[in-house]
Amino acid sequence: MLKLEHIYKWVSAGGRRIFLLNDLSLKVEKGEFLSVMGPSGSGKSTLLNIIAMLDEFQEGEYYFEEEAIHQLKSKKRTEIFNQNIGFIFQAYHLLDDLTVYENIETPLLYKNVKSSERKALVGDILDRFNIVGKKDLFPHQLSGGQQQLVGIARALIIKPKLILADEPTGNLNSKQSDEIMQLFQDLNKEGVTIIQATHSESNAKYGSRTIHLLDGSVSKK
Amino acid sequence: MIRNYFKIAWRHIWKHKIFSLINIISLAIGLSASFVIGMMVYYDFTFDKFHPDGDRTYRVTTQFNDPEGGRVSAGIPFPLVDVVKNDVTGLETAAFFHQFQSVNVKPTGTEELFKQQDFVVFADQGYFELLEYQWLAGSPQKTLSKPNEVVLTEDRARLYFPNLSPSQVMGKTLNYNDSIPAVVTGVIADFKERSDIIFQEFLSLHTAPQTNIAHQISGNNWYGVYNTSQLWVKLEKKTLLNNFQAQLDDIAEKHQMKEDVKSGSTREFHIQPLTNLHFNNELGIYDPETAVADKKVLFMLGLVALFLLLLGCANFINLNTAQASKRAKEIGIRKTLGSSKGQLIFQFLGETFLLTIFAGIVSVLLSFWLLRIFDDFIAEGIDISLLMNPVILFLIGLLLVIVTITAGFYPGIILSKFKPVRVLKGKNTEAGSKNELRKFLTIFQFTIAFVFIISTILVGKQISFLINKDMGFKTESVAFMETPYYLSSSDKQELLAQKLANLSALKKVSLGGQSPASFDQSTTFFISNHDGIERKTSVRMLFGDTEYLDLYEIPILAGRTPLNDTIKEIVINTKALEKMGFTNPSKALNQTVTSGGVPYSITGVMADFNQGSLKQEIEPMAFVGGMWHSSFEVIHFSFSTENYEDLSTTLAQVENTYKEVYPEETVDLKFMDETILTFYKKEQSMSKLITWAMALSVLISCLGLLGLVIHTTERRTKEIGIRKVLGASIRQINIILCKDFLILIVIAFVIAAPITYWLLNDWLQDFANRTELSWWIFAGGGFFMIVLALAVMSVKTISTALQKPVKNLRTE
Repeated sequence: MLKLEHIYKWVSAGGRRIFLLNDLSLKVEKGEFLSVMGPSGSGKSTLLNIIAMLDEFQEGEYYFEEEAIHQLKSKKRTEIFNQNIGFIFQAYHLLDDLTVYENIETPLLYKNVKSSERKALVGDILDRFNIVGKKDLFPHQLSGGQQQLVGIARALIIKPKLILADEPTGNLNSKQSDEIMQLFQDLNKEGVTIIQATHSESNAKYGSRTIHLLDGSVSKK
Repeated sequence: MIRNYFKIAWRHIWKHKIFSLINIISLAIGLSASFVIGMMVYYDFTFDKFHPDGDRTYRVTTQFNDPEGGRVSAGIPFPLVDVVKNDVTGLETAAFFHQFQSVNVKPTGTEELFKQQDFVVFADQGYFELLEYQWLAGSPQKTLSKPNEVVLTEDRARLYFPNLSPSQVMGKTLNYNDSIPAVVTGVIADFKERSDIIFQEFLSLHTAPQTNIAHQISGNNWYGVYNTSQLWVKLEKKTLLNNFQAQLDDIAEKHQMKEDVKSGSTREFHIQPLTNLHFNNELGIYDPETAVADKKVLFMLGLVALFLLLLGCANFINLNTAQASKRAKEIGIRKTLGSSKGQLIFQFLGETFLLTIFAGIVSVLLSFWLLRIFDDFIAEGIDISLLMNPVILFLIGLLLVIVTITAGFYPGIILSKFKPVRVLKGKNTEAGSKNELRKFLTIFQFTIAFVFIISTILVGKQISFLINKDMGFKTESVAFMETPYYLSSSDKQELLAQKLANLSALKKVSLGGQSPASFDQSTTFFISNHDGIERKTSVRMLFGDTEYLDLYEIPILAGRTPLNDTIKEIVINTKALEKMGFTNPSKALNQTVTSGGVPYSITGVMADFNQGSLKQEIEPMAFVGGMWHSSFEVIHFSFSTENYEDLSTTLAQVENTYKEVYPEETVDLKFMDETILTFYKKEQSMSKLITWAMALSVLISCLGLLGLVIHTTERRTKEIGIRKVLGASIRQINIILCKDFLILIVIAFVIAAPITYWLLNDWLQDFANRTELSWWIFAGGGFFMIVLALAVMSVKTISTALQKPVKNLRTE
């Protein structure tokens, strides 16, 4: 599915380079559920951002389904991202001014999906997540777990091949957290590739593979 | 997609009510000014655009030049007509007509008399070849070829024969000035579209010899030019303007007087395009009631509208870039959801457009109100319904889009540039470096506000200077009224003067020409030759009896006033004295000057006084006594009391006396001091305009300032809290918060002061009498603006500073 080779990313501070990713190589197969673990600052979020093409790296090569991402222009990257990847945040990052329904609909708008089709798609996913009754509420009217559900629903609406989740349960209690993880597992079984960054061993266990990051590189497989 | 944008935009506008309100108000002010001024421009530029060959239609005009200057006339000497018709090539049509002013019309068979009808002309078929009318009855080929025929417009036909259809009006007879009958041989429809060609009754040119103005349209005088005798031509399509003008030049040269050439005078013929008719003040239009449009004024108004619009846009840009950090998160998320930069910019432009539309709706309402306020500035034909005109609607739409792009594009770019990763990590997203633009725009706004404030003060000062300056003659408690000039019998005038003199409430009564200061421009040349040097001086004439100078308290410096007899005597003013080359008043006494070969004896010298608007210099003037009695059309009188209540009874007495002598006429009584005010109508309306522009620009700028202050104080609540905990007083906090803005305002003042000085100095050059451009005007304007800005800012800063520090710190 994707392949990272010798990725370096650094920021300069006071004339010194601080490496966020240091000679990181990683291969993810289609259908995997990969958990990325590691202490704060080890580069988990940076790795996900780079895979999501939201952030850039200085050296190295990145192939996404045979496409050499490091050689592409940002417009093309956005296009690949839009077609293939759903991103889930720790802080949910729902749009405050939009209702649940509109939040989930937004990615479809950016993909220029037709109105009738949008209605059907959003309706399906609301059904599936059991949040039909909440579709006209605004994010601040929901609990954390519900907000994250909406976040996931929004990520799934474009039927992504790959889901990137950056500590998706970081702000939730253990019960909610288990529910979300269960959901991820189900999705994985349906064929969606998932990469999650997490602090929690128990969450990591839901995955099919776990890697550990330390100071920007993979420490053990 | 679009619908979605607008939904989100609406929620955003609603959520930030104060900022939206500031944006809408400031844009609406600029928009409504643009609407109103746009309507004025559109109105004035759509006159006489409908004539089929309008682009080939010209009026022939006359220009006189002499060493002292020149003047133009819309009229032409009568002999030119035949020469142009017969000898000039490249013409399709030439139409000559002569206006027949203030005629009394009586439809035969009725008792009704229509007095002083205007827009009556003597014309021939050429007129209808020149301009295309719709004929409701009769035809252009079969009319106005014989004497005593008349063509009426539908309006006039209905006025004279209320119950008859156009075809029934045909063959009816009208009686002009009680002596000339004319048969209706045609009825035409009035022009439906805007036109300055407003004639309504067309008498055949052959009828003219029967009237008392026959001498004006006959003979072979190449120098007698009446404004009312006009020649229009329609050129052939292939005719070159240069070629036609060259032929006119030839004619002018061929018929030139030898003496003229010797004294350096010339007389030229020119052509004026139909499109220029509505804009040429010198040549004028046919309706004395309406003003000729002034392109300079329209341009100035356009500038005002443009500045107000720019001020509104500046507010929008400032507030939205300042608010950018608040929206950073939304932008970050949208980008991770797959939005492209272009889509984001489009979204922000959508928001701006929605706001602009709201502003547009508000400004339509404001336009109603502006139209009412600037009533005296705006031509009568302009009202709000003009907004429904498709061209105007299209332009409004275009304007809204342009404003949207001007105001929304830059903030859109700034916002869409945010990097999602940085934003979502909560890193500092302040568009800090772009503060420069915000500073620049704020300085720009206040510079304009300063220019308007200082100008308002100076224009006001200049006007009060003009109004209050001593004219050099008595202006208080003096009034005058015209006697009907078409009743030329002087017996009645004298009777009225006699009766008025008997009223005890009147101090002095005088029969004369116009008042000492008036728009009346009767001038003549005097040739003086007392010291061997021949001088030709253009002198303004003032007519009056022996009481006249005394009544207006005009001092006689030497000699005496003319005796009321037939000896030609004049009193000249000091200015004329100088021009004629006399070194002092006594030298001029009993000297003889000639005008048109007639000798005049100088019997006295009067002091200089202003003869009109103080904008003009004092001109040489000569006071002439009784031998020009026919010019005595006005009765002047001064009141013996200044008591207000007595005055009204006195006025009633005067009116009654007038009615006794002229039972059929209406009294038109004017006070001298009020007449003087009318000289400054243009300046007064300019003052009004500039005051409004000032108020609006100050309002927009202060609103923008308020918005920025709200934004910074919200951002700095934590800092304010900490400072208070550390013991800062409210005043100190206020200073800290206002300081940055005050610096910008002061910079704006420094920029505005020299610009304004230059502008106002230039404006003042138009006035012969001008007030000083004193330092306090600038200081006062600057002080006013700064105090106002401080007050506006303090509203927010003090309330923030007053909050308990604990609360401030917790909100962070």
